[in-house]
Amino acid sequence: MSDWLVEVGQNKQARTVIRSLGLPVPVPEKLARDKGPWVASPLHDRVVAVGATPHAAFVSEIANSLAAAGANPYLEGAESHRAAFDAAGEAYGRPPRNTADLAEGVRVHALVFDASGIAGAGELRSLYDFFHAHLERLARCGRLVVVGRTEHRASPERALVATALEGFVRSAAKELGRKGATANLVLATGDAGARIDAVLRFVLSPRSAFISGQPFLVNARARDAGANGKPPFVRPLDGKVALVTGAARGIGEATVRALAQEGAHVVCLDRPADDAATSKLAREVGGTPLLVDVTDGSAPARIADALKGLGGAHVVVHNAGITRDKTLARMKPELWDQVIDVNLASVVAITQAIEPELEDGARIVCLSSIAGIAGNVGQTNYAASKAGIIGYVRALAEKFEERGITVNAVAPGFIETRMTAAVPFVVREGGRRMSALGQGGLPIDVAQAIVFFASPGAQGLTGSVLRVCGGSLIGA
Amino acid sequence: MSNVKKGRRAVVVAGARTPFVKAFSEYIELDAIALGVLASRALLKKADLAYREVEGIVWGGVILPSAAPNVGREIALDLRLDPGCEAYTVTRACASGLQAITLGAAAIERGEADVLICGGADSTSNAEVKLPQKLVHAFAPLALGKPTPADYLSAAPKLLPVTDLIPRQPRIAERSTGEVMGESAERMARRNEISREAQDAFALRSHQRAAAAIASGRFEDEVFPVQTSGGRWVHTDGLVRADSSLEKLAKLRPAFAREGTLTAGNSSALTDGAAAVLLMSEEKARSLGYRPLAAFASWAYTGVDPADQLLMGPALAMPKALARAGLRLSDIDVVDMHEAFAAQVLSVVKMLASPSFARTRLGLEGAVGEIDPDRLNVHGGSIALGHPFGATGARMVTTMAHELTRTQKRTALLGICAAGGLGAAAVLERVD
Repeated sequence: MSDWLVEVGQNKQARTVIRSLGLPVPVPEKLARDKGPWVASPLHDRVVAVGATPHAAFVSEIANSLAAAGANPYLEGAESHRAAFDAAGEAYGRPPRNTADLAEGVRVHALVFDASGIAGAGELRSLYDFFHAHLERLARCGRLVVVGRTEHRASPERALVATALEGFVRSAAKELGRKGATANLVLATGDAGARIDAVLRFVLSPRSAFISGQPFLVNARARDAGANGKPPFVRPLDGKVALVTGAARGIGEATVRALAQEGAHVVCLDRPADDAATSKLAREVGGTPLLVDVTDGSAPARIADALKGLGGAHVVVHNAGITRDKTLARMKPELWDQVIDVNLASVVAITQAIEPELEDGARIVCLSSIAGIAGNVGQTNYAASKAGIIGYVRALAEKFEERGITVNAVAPGFIETRMTAAVPFVVREGGRRMSALGQGGLPIDVAQAIVFFASPGAQGLTGSVLRVCGGSLIGA
Repeated sequence: MSNVKKGRRAVVVAGARTPFVKAFSEYIELDAIALGVLASRALLKKADLAYREVEGIVWGGVILPSAAPNVGREIALDLRLDPGCEAYTVTRACASGLQAITLGAAAIERGEADVLICGGADSTSNAEVKLPQKLVHAFAPLALGKPTPADYLSAAPKLLPVTDLIPRQPRIAERSTGEVMGESAERMARRNEISREAQDAFALRSHQRAAAAIASGRFEDEVFPVQTSGGRWVHTDGLVRADSSLEKLAKLRPAFAREGTLTAGNSSALTDGAAAVLLMSEEKARSLGYRPLAAFASWAYTGVDPADQLLMGPALAMPKALARAGLRLSDIDVVDMHEAFAAQVLSVVKMLASPSFARTRLGLEGAVGEIDPDRLNVHGGSIALGHPFGATGARMVTTMAHELTRTQKRTALLGICAAGGLGAAAVLERVD
C-alpha cells in the first residue's frame, strides 16, 4: 500500500497546481532511503556542520566518527575542538573547514552539536546560537543531531540539561519534518564515549530516515564481549546466526532480508500455515525455515533445539505479533488471550528456553508499538502486550549485562504493511499524517533499526525503546 | 629475511631497461613483447649470462596483448631461451613490475628456481581499442558456424543503433567507480591540502634530478640504447625536461578539474618502455662469480577503497613492509616512490608524517616518519622519466639496487600506488 500523497508530491504537475492555487495540501517529502547493505562510508563527501561548547566531552569521538564515515566537517564555535578535527582530518583526508566558508546557498546534510559541556540552564543558550544560525541551511532529508551527556546521580542543575535537550530535539523534529529531515538526540554517559561512533553513524545515515525526535541512550552497562578494536561496519553480521519470528511477511520479512544482507544466517520462523512464504524467503536469503506456532507448548523447546543445531544464536528478533481489536466492553475472551499469548507470553517462554543457546555479546530485539506507549481505542489487549514488552526488555537488559548481551525494543509507529492496509481510509490517513514527517514508514525502516541494534557497534544501547515513528505526534 | 634458508636468499644480480619514451613516438611499432625482448636481451648481455641458465621468466604488464597475454612466455620464445624455460605473466596495475620481481624472489627462496628474469613492460602506443561486444556477439555465430543467408540478414538488426558500434576511447578509469584516475588524484590533492605550488615544485625536482642523473652518466649502467625500425637509435629517456622551470609549469592548465591543481606537468605521462632484473639465489650467484647488488628484506601489498582515496595504498604498504623487515623509516637510507601524480606522492608523504594517521589507520603509537626530500626519488621519478605501467616497478628496483651498491648505503624503501586502490612496497638491502 503506497502513500498517495507522497506520490502526488513526486508529480511535478501536481506540485505546480498545489503551489499556484495555494492549496493547503501538506505534501510530505519523499524520504531518501538506502536499501542496500552497510557501506564503509555512509556519509561519503557529505557536508556536516559541527558545533560544540568549550567543555564538550565527546568532540574527538565525533570528529573521528564523521571523518571515518566520509563526511566533510565545517566547524563553528570554540577553537578548542579544532585540534580533534585536525587530527581526524589528517587520518582520513577530511580536513575541517569553517562554517563561515560555506557559500550562501550551500545546503548542509547534517548539523551536529556537542552539548555535553552544557552545565546548567544558562548555558543552553549555545544550542540556540548554533542552530538558529544554521537551521535554514539543512538540506531536504537532512539530519539534526544533538550529542549530550548524562550521568546516574547528576545534580539537579545538570539533570535538567539532558531532558531539556530531549524537549529541544522533539520540537526541532516537528519543525524539520516538512522537509523530510530528522532530529535526534544521542545521550551518552561519560564512560561510554567510545560507543557513540556506531550510533552517530546510524543516525546520520539514510538508514534512520523514519526515526525522528528520539533519544538514543548510550551507556557502558553491557560489557564488551570479545570485541577487540573497532566493530566492523561492513557485513557486521558475517558468520552470525539470527532468528526472526513472524518472518513470512511485512516487518519480519524486511528484517530477514536486511539481516541476511549483512551476512547473517537467518532462521525464518512463522506458522506452518505460512509454509510457502517462509520457505521461499529462507531459500532466497540462504537461511533456514522453521515452521512453528509460537504459542504452541512445544515451540520454545523446538526453537532452542534448532538454534543449538546451528551452533548458537547471536541475534533474536521477536517480531511475531497479532492484533485482535475490539473495545474492551465488547471484547470476547479469546481475543484477549490470543493477543497476550502471541505478543507477550510466547516471547517470554521462548526467550527463557533459548537462553543457553545465546552467545556472549548476543542481541535480543523485541517489537513493541506506539500503541503500547500511547494506547489506542480498541487495543487494550494489544497495548497491554506491547507495553509489557517494554518492561520486559528493560529488566531483561539488566539481567544480561554481564554477558554483554543487549536487549532492546523497537516501537514502530504507522508502517505501511498488510496490517495497516486493512484499516479504514480515514483512520489510515490519520495515522499517516499525524507525524512530523507526514507519512507512514516502510517495513524496511523498522528492519534497519533492528539490524542496527543487532550490530556489534550498538553495544552501548541496552534496555532502550526506540520509536520508529517519523516523529509521531502521539505519545512522547 | 631471517627465516630464509642460508644461501637461498634471492639477490638482484643485474638490471637493465630501455630508455622510456612518450607514447606514439619512437617506439610506436614496438609492442610490449618486443620491448620486453629488448630489455631481457640487454640484461643477459650485460650480465654475460649463458641463455641456457635462465630457468624462468616472471613478467608484469597492464596492457596485455589479447592474442598473446602471457607476454613473459612470448619473450622467452622470441629470445630463443631454452624451451624448458617456463614463464608467466602477472598484472597488478602500476605495481606489476614489482609484483613480478617479488614473485620471482619468493620462488627462489622456496627453492623452485635459481635463476629468473623478472621485469615488466608496457606499450601504451599499442593498446588495443576494443570492438563493441555487440558486434562480436552478432558476428561470432556467423564466423564460427555454417551461416545461411538468412543468418546474415538476422545479424544486421542486432547491430542497431549504429552509434553503439563506434569503439569507445580507452580511459584510465576505475571500473568500480567510473572515475578517471586523474580525478581521483585531484580529490586527494584537495582532501590532503596539497597546493599547486607544492606539486609543481615536486615535479620540477623530478625533472632536475633525472636530468642530472642522465648528464652525469648515472644511468649508463642501467639504460641501454634501442634501435627502432627506421634505423634510428634511442639513447635516453625522452620525457625528461632539463630546462623545466616553475614558471613553465605554472602556465599549464588544470587537466582533470576546472579549478584543479593537477596538470600535465605534475602528472606522469603515457609512456612506452621495458625494464628487467636478473634474480638469482645467493648461492648460485656467487658460484657463477657475480657480485649481488641487493636483496629483498621484505615486500608488502595492500588494498584500500577505490571510492575513498584511490592512490593512498603506499601509505599502508610502506609501513607494512618496514614492519616486516623489522625497520623504522629512520633506518632507511633512500626512498623511491612511483610518481603517478605529484599530489599523490605528497599526500602519501603527509600521511606517513602524521601521528593521527598512524594511530588511527595503522594502529601505531607515533607517526611512521618524515621522509627527507633529499632522500626521496634521488634520481627523479615517473613524472620526469615516464611511466610504462609494468616497467616502472622494475625500473625502481634496478635504480635502487644500483644506488645501494654505488653509494654503499644499506637500505632502500620502495612505494608504488596502483589502480584498483592497491598499494605495493618493498625494502631492499645491500648485499655485502
